[in-house]
Amino acid sequence: MPKYTVKFKIPKHLQVPMGAVIPSPKTENEGMITGNWRIVRPVIDHEKCTTCLNCYIFCPDACWQLNEKTEKMEWNAKYCKGCRICINECPADALTAEEELNFPDGVVRLDVPF
Amino acid sequence: MAKIFEVTIWATGVLQDMEGRHASLLIANAADKAGKFVQAWDNYADLPDRVNVPLRKYARISDEEIEMRYEYENEHPEMVIIMQDAIIKGMNVLWGMPKGGVLVINTKRSVDDILKFIPNKDLLSKIVTVDANSIAKVADIDFMGGEGGVEVVGIGAGPSAPLVGAACKVTDAFSLENVVAVAANKDGVKKGYEQAVVTNL
Repeated sequence: MPKYTVKFKIPKHLQVPMGAVIPSPKTENEGMITGNWRIVRPVIDHEKCTTCLNCYIFCPDACWQLNEKTEKMEWNAKYCKGCRICINECPADALTAEEELNFPDGVVRLDVPF
Repeated sequence: MAKIFEVTIWATGVLQDMEGRHASLLIANAADKAGKFVQAWDNYADLPDRVNVPLRKYARISDEEIEMRYEYENEHPEMVIIMQDAIIKGMNVLWGMPKGGVLVINTKRSVDDILKFIPNKDLLSKIVTVDANSIAKVADIDFMGGEGGVEVVGIGAGPSAPLVGAACKVTDAFSLENVVAVAANKDGVKKGYEQAVVTNL
């Protein structure tokens, strides 16, 4: 028996199970991959980066995360759509746009566009 | 039913929506001038397009009347035209292509650079690279009007003209003279034909 039914003395005929079932919050949604839209990608210069977290706040797809062990920003290639907002917002000029085809990594290839 | 020559065009959302549509219209209108039966249309599922999303545009050419009007995707494209080279990294652009197809790509890079990002390149018989953005002097022309809207500058004023010109080099479904006749940027079509680099694989 749940604790609250005991605490509030809910009679047995009024007890109902908790209604909604939601999947647990995840960090990634595989159904909305946008990494294949990218024409340019942001490249970070860790020496200039002050970890002010502006990129984390402004990124519409939450592609920048702070790795607390290394204290460095980490970029998620699977969802970054190359919108350049982080590059515009970076106060330390640590981010630069580079052409996607210069890099062999970060390939997110789909059969049908999302 | 006679054999249908299918062309799929990949373009960047919003920025190249018009240019991609013009490429399919150039191909269809040029083949129409030669008396063939043609169709040209946008992929409905990709619209409304969003900035940078890969879009598909289609063209069909046949010697007889095309009866598959309501099959609204090209499932076996023999020619794929790519308006923006970064799309090869994000999409399986050769989807449905029968063996021996042709890829025409708008890029400044070398053929080897491009082939690195195409895992199923054994389907291709030829690849054509042309720097259409430099020939047309623009990467994209302002979006104006929708499908069926009035095109004030005529079709094929931007990078679509040199790209379709380059495609004439590897196919006989549409000829260079007819593409020049229907395109707004006639010089661009000829330059695209001359500067296209054809590589046999």
